[in-house]
Amino acid sequence: MMKVSLRLRIAFLVLLAISLTSIPAVFAQDATEEAPPVELTGEPVRIGFAVAESGGSSLFGQEQVIGAEIARDYFNDHGGINGRPIELVFQDAASDEAGAINAFQTLISSDVVGIVGPTLSQQAFAADPLAEEAAVPVIGPSNTHPDIPGIGDFIARVSAPVTVVAPNAVDAALALNPDVETVAVFYAQNDAFATSETVVFQAYVEEQGLTLLPVQTFQTTDTDFTTQITNVLPSEPDLIIISGLAVDSGNLVRQLRELGFAGPIVGGNGLNSTNMFTVCQALCDGIILAQAYSPLAEGEINQALVEIYEEEQGRTPGQFTGQAFAAVQVFVEALRALDDEVGLDTLELADLRVQLNETLLGLTYEDTPLGTISFTEDGDIVQAAYFVAQIEMSEDGTEGSFVLLPSAEEEAE
Amino acid sequence: MDSFINQYGFLIVQMVLQAVLALSLYLPLMAGQLSLASPAFYAVGGYVAAVLSTQKFLPPAGTVFPEPVQSLVIWLATVFPGAQDGLYPAGLVVLEMLIAGLISGVLALMVGFPALRLRGIYLALATIAFVEIVRVLSLNLPVTGGAIGIFNIPQPFHTKFEYLWIAGPLILLSVWFVARLERTRVGRAFAALREDELAATAMGINPTYHKVLAFTLGAVLAGMVGVVSAHFLNTWNARQGTFDLGVLVLAYVVIGGARTFAGPVLGALLLTALPEVLRAVAGLPGLPTWLTEFLREGRLIIYGILIAVGTVFFPQGLLTPEIFTRRRRPPGIQDSGAGETAPTEVS
Repeated sequence: MMKVSLRLRIAFLVLLAISLTSIPAVFAQDATEEAPPVELTGEPVRIGFAVAESGGSSLFGQEQVIGAEIARDYFNDHGGINGRPIELVFQDAASDEAGAINAFQTLISSDVVGIVGPTLSQQAFAADPLAEEAAVPVIGPSNTHPDIPGIGDFIARVSAPVTVVAPNAVDAALALNPDVETVAVFYAQNDAFATSETVVFQAYVEEQGLTLLPVQTFQTTDTDFTTQITNVLPSEPDLIIISGLAVDSGNLVRQLRELGFAGPIVGGNGLNSTNMFTVCQALCDGIILAQAYSPLAEGEINQALVEIYEEEQGRTPGQFTGQAFAAVQVFVEALRALDDEVGLDTLELADLRVQLNETLLGLTYEDTPLGTISFTEDGDIVQAAYFVAQIEMSEDGTEGSFVLLPSAEEEAE
Repeated sequence: MDSFINQYGFLIVQMVLQAVLALSLYLPLMAGQLSLASPAFYAVGGYVAAVLSTQKFLPPAGTVFPEPVQSLVIWLATVFPGAQDGLYPAGLVVLEMLIAGLISGVLALMVGFPALRLRGIYLALATIAFVEIVRVLSLNLPVTGGAIGIFNIPQPFHTKFEYLWIAGPLILLSVWFVARLERTRVGRAFAALREDELAATAMGINPTYHKVLAFTLGAVLAGMVGVVSAHFLNTWNARQGTFDLGVLVLAYVVIGGARTFAGPVLGALLLTALPEVLRAVAGLPGLPTWLTEFLREGRLIIYGILIAVGTVFFPQGLLTPEIFTRRRRPPGIQDSGAGETAPTEVS
């Protein structure tokens, strides 16, 4: 056995103790970003950004960080907060509840005017009450659970709840295929988003007077869906609706087509990803999706975002990027308005946070990547337009793209 | 000091809760059973708290329990301070802990008897399977709220730091209990089973009884931590108490030391604090930008390296019983290692 001297153990503990005692120094200042462009002067305005940079949801968090950084640079290039630079303070909220609470607590104790985050609804239920208690405005960039804005006065979000987005895709599918009568629904039962989304889909299908076949469930880790498919195909569904994540749903679509289903397929939000193209390839063709964000949407800011993102990343931005950008933009525009009105310098931090919250809930944001948005009194997003897209694949299945369909509202006009 | 508690109150309580959880895994390990079932009981405890506090106790609609029980609930709600200004009575949290402890204990007995016939790595696998069963059940049962879980769990305190009123006594009691246990007949029977089951049986120790006892005690403790955690996190879902947590808690025990109760406690305190300490270090003023960047982006890398370094230099964990016995070992008694020589000939 390897004998370790008591002295070495003590040295190790002392080392850790030293790092522990250095905690209080953090109050002085938080993680800083690189220097702002030269033309901006004055103390930077700090906005906290706490999303999942590590853990299981870090793929989403990564997209959100990119969107936020693009927003910061874009608005700093366009005058900052009336001449003052914008600085984002990033804190990793990880992918669990404790991580989100730690990140939020760090930001609340620092000098940020507001917080964008966290990534998951479950994390929001844990961390948002702290911000509410401390009177710090929070904008959820991707929390879609219906009860999120109800957490408190200081909690708002730019991510439209599933109840609003999902039915648009069914509408579009019915417009393209008026003869649909029976509908089969599949969902991933271990995914929080898919389970709440499928409830909306099912309710909407029944509301339309369509026949709902027995609901089929799967796991996001599944690769073989033969059982579920053979359960429903004999009943000859006219339309299939899937709520899951990209890879599992891609496999499901592929096997549905291979086992002979030729009708229209509506996908939930999880299928709204180019990651699916490599899985079902040419068989992805024709899937109809509702989107809260579309890179194809017109609007100056969205096109600027898409251009910068494509230049940096070599692909088109997705919903997480667009919504994170919009969340930062809401803070920036509200800060500008508040500065015009009373002057940010005149306010103490606590006052500034309270007034910022009031200001941001009252404004209408004309040109964001999500189109025109505003907030309800509760803090839920009011989004002027949603997008319905259809996947178009090349013959060999190597190239794919989303093509915008005219949404039902536009048709009505 | 106030701002320190404001910022790190959550972390301090989290450290304490993780320490109790580490003790719950240490208990079966005392009897030589590598069980990773603690997260499952932790999850069960959390759901007990979430369901009872959001749906059963003090419902706006009125009584849900038959009479003597309901009176007890109401009495408990008023006997502890905290029932004022809309807070959830702390007394009910304690009641939830007792109920969760009971449920976890019964569950542990049911799982323990068949599972503890397995040894070593097979037992570990069986307990992992149990963790998975609990996770899948909580995803599918209507009462547990599916994947989104149960949220808006009522708070017994205004700040997270005040949870120390519950977590503090919990860890003091469990440390006291485990420390005492190590010196009783049962504790020595656990140690004997850990060192050599065959020899222990020959000395008249009932292996099944003691193994199941250690397993059940750990389960009760984990269930109670789950209750506090559910209130503490404000939300509970199927992502709590999974296999990942089991690995983390095992790391607490391995890093801290698996031969004395102080090891898991120290390991949990250190490893829970470490990522947040690194986060704080990254925010120190005056550091060069590249170092700040590296600390911020790579803090989990540093965390991993420290764990690896810890295991290389302290294969027995940071704390071993020798540290405590060095000064007051009675003359004539050797290290515990001396006992290991005899049984080899028997087998």
